[in-house]
Amino acid sequence: MSSPFSINGGACVAMVGKDCVAIACDLRLGLQALTVSNNFPKIFNYGDVYLGLTGLATDVSTVAETMRYKVNMYRLREERQISPQTMANLVSSSLYERRFGPWFVSPVIAGINHTTGKPFICGFDSIGCIDFAKDFIVSGTASDQLFGTCEGLWEPDLGPEDLFETVSQALLNAVDRDALSGWGAHVYIIEKDKVTKRLLKGRQD
Amino acid sequence: MADRYSFSLTTFSPSGKLVQIEYALNAVNQGVTSLGIKATNGIVLATEKKSSSPLIDASSSSKVSLITPNIGMVYSGMGPDYRVLVDKARKVSHTGYKRIYNEYPPTRILVQDVARVMQEATQSGGVRPYGVSLLIAGWDDGIEPETAAEEAAAPDAEKKRATGKTGGVLKGGPSLYQVDPSGSYFPWKATAIGKSATSAKTFLEKRYTEGLELEDAVHIALLTLKETIEGEMNGDTVEIGIVGPPADHLMGYEGVEGAQGPRFRKLSPQEIEDYLTNL
Amino acid sequence: MASMYSMPSTTPGYSFPSTHPMTASGPRQHAGFYPYTDNGGSTLGISGKDFTIMAGDTRSTSGYNINTRYEPKLFKIGGDGPKNEGATIVLSVVGFAADGHALKERLDTVAKMYKYQHGKPISVAACAQRLSHILYDKRFFPFYVHAILGGLDENGVGALYSYDPVGSYEREQCRAAGAASSLIMPFLDNQVNFKNQYIPGSGEGHALQQRMPEPLPRHEVEEIVQDAFTSAVERHIEVGDGLQMFVITSNGIEEIYKDLKKD
Repeated sequence: MSSPFSINGGACVAMVGKDCVAIACDLRLGLQALTVSNNFPKIFNYGDVYLGLTGLATDVSTVAETMRYKVNMYRLREERQISPQTMANLVSSSLYERRFGPWFVSPVIAGINHTTGKPFICGFDSIGCIDFAKDFIVSGTASDQLFGTCEGLWEPDLGPEDLFETVSQALLNAVDRDALSGWGAHVYIIEKDKVTKRLLKGRQD
Repeated sequence: MADRYSFSLTTFSPSGKLVQIEYALNAVNQGVTSLGIKATNGIVLATEKKSSSPLIDASSSSKVSLITPNIGMVYSGMGPDYRVLVDKARKVSHTGYKRIYNEYPPTRILVQDVARVMQEATQSGGVRPYGVSLLIAGWDDGIEPETAAEEAAAPDAEKKRATGKTGGVLKGGPSLYQVDPSGSYFPWKATAIGKSATSAKTFLEKRYTEGLELEDAVHIALLTLKETIEGEMNGDTVEIGIVGPPADHLMGYEGVEGAQGPRFRKLSPQEIEDYLTNL
Repeated sequence: MASMYSMPSTTPGYSFPSTHPMTASGPRQHAGFYPYTDNGGSTLGISGKDFTIMAGDTRSTSGYNINTRYEPKLFKIGGDGPKNEGATIVLSVVGFAADGHALKERLDTVAKMYKYQHGKPISVAACAQRLSHILYDKRFFPFYVHAILGGLDENGVGALYSYDPVGSYEREQCRAAGAASSLIMPFLDNQVNFKNQYIPGSGEGHALQQRMPEPLPRHEVEEIVQDAFTSAVERHIEVGDGLQMFVITSNGIEEIYKDLKKD
């Protein structure tokens, strides 16, 4: 309970589909059992790349802003957008820099590589070890539940609409079994030249 | 203690010049000529390797250096300064890039990093400017997707741009830069630095054509050197580095899907001899 | 390092503590005696219109060791003879296997005594309440198990009761228990009780109508059970080896065994 990872609560999930990827998060911000806010999104956009952050809320905000600074500097220096793969390595090296005093976050990345057109997702532990998954990545206080729902609902080569339904059901049903997550959700469906953001109401308890 | 009283040696003259930098350029202009030529499918870097004595073992000294697997460098000016810069360039390509992004820096980024090192030597206390000019050649894999549809729609456009890759990180391809002691840098199609830079550049202006292939570029490089070289021209007195197609045989292993060999490699004395006989 | 702050588990957490209470006590023998072990594994039950399916994996673990690949967690209650023939009630227990066996013995005895004294088999409802009492009897030295009881009620409708270790119980449509319960339960909410599912075109926003849960046909339930376990096996190291299912119908209890991954 006193783990920094489970003080504020929250959940995030990313999934691969056919020529598309999805990333979704809940909206709860809490202090242990007390819910403080029901509008605390955990997904941040960096051009072609989407970064989901769960864990200690203050670290979520700080890491999101640090990455904003780093990606902006990258764009100015290199006169190009950062690719999901490069972003993954940037996040990894940034987290490992704090090896002995880590940010208490569990990041998730989703995006489509502009050059290859291929979907990309990955997840990290709090010190930057990358998990390159071909199917889905989960993080947050509802990660156990998300593993169960994703493993049960996900299948290969889902189209954008089916992927939206799958990721939404996986998230909604997982957070309903986690007291620290829920209170609505954001879902991004990322296609090659289109991104659809949907807001899910979900259970408000 | 040391840095408390270390003032910059490079100070403005009343006329607005930094004479230390001009002196550094003088050192470059006394150095052995080096040149670089950009082709559609690669780049060649060439220089003369002068020995002050027949007793020197030429094969153990080297003026053309690999910085990253896809980027190489050559110099005119002071050898010791160059070796320091090679070390720093190799180091910064890892600390400032590969260790962060797990990929090697694009050519322009490396050039800027090296240029910063050279600029800092013109403004810091207790140091002098580097007495070298550099030619840095590298290949970048473009980030723009290769659109098959676009090329199919305009098949005649294919000829105009032999590969479509004109250098730079967006479309990808070869790029060639010169970096001076001041820290300023310039992109070139072909250029020369050092003692006979002016005459070599005049020669290159005559010989350079758009749509040049790497093989032709090596040929022109040797012809240009021949105009200015003082001693005998052979595999031991000429040094050549090329940025070309991936040299998978230099990887040391095979069978790994997606693995690519280095694009930058130095030509062996034998390879240079072969080019020279066909001159 | 791990004890300084607990990292988030990117995989499901283990159901056993990383430092055993016994190891802290050193040479003192009885002060640190800890009589419980977690033997891992998972169980689940789903009730239908005229049947109940009980299921459990057959792996038994202690720590990272696999004790055996076949140790059933499902027991027939109140039948005849050593094979419990003619039984209509199934008890599943997951947690500390020794307590599970002891609990099974007590409940089975109770069910048999009931039949001898009343001349008829015990109803699930009665058996369910009795089980609650057996658990609460040991309120201050509990059976370290999560029990699920399945059968058919007086109307022949599938009945399912789930328990906490000290006897608090509830009749439900479905329940997952054990090591991978946190993985399986939200999946069951969605697939059995249709949670978070709405009828398309039934309205906008809050006017959308919930899809009402209805008893599922047997073959669909069997499929859901199998999917739940193959998913749990994929992500939880304490679940695997074999899947044992008891299908309770008015014709008796049918046993189905399917292999699960053994890694």
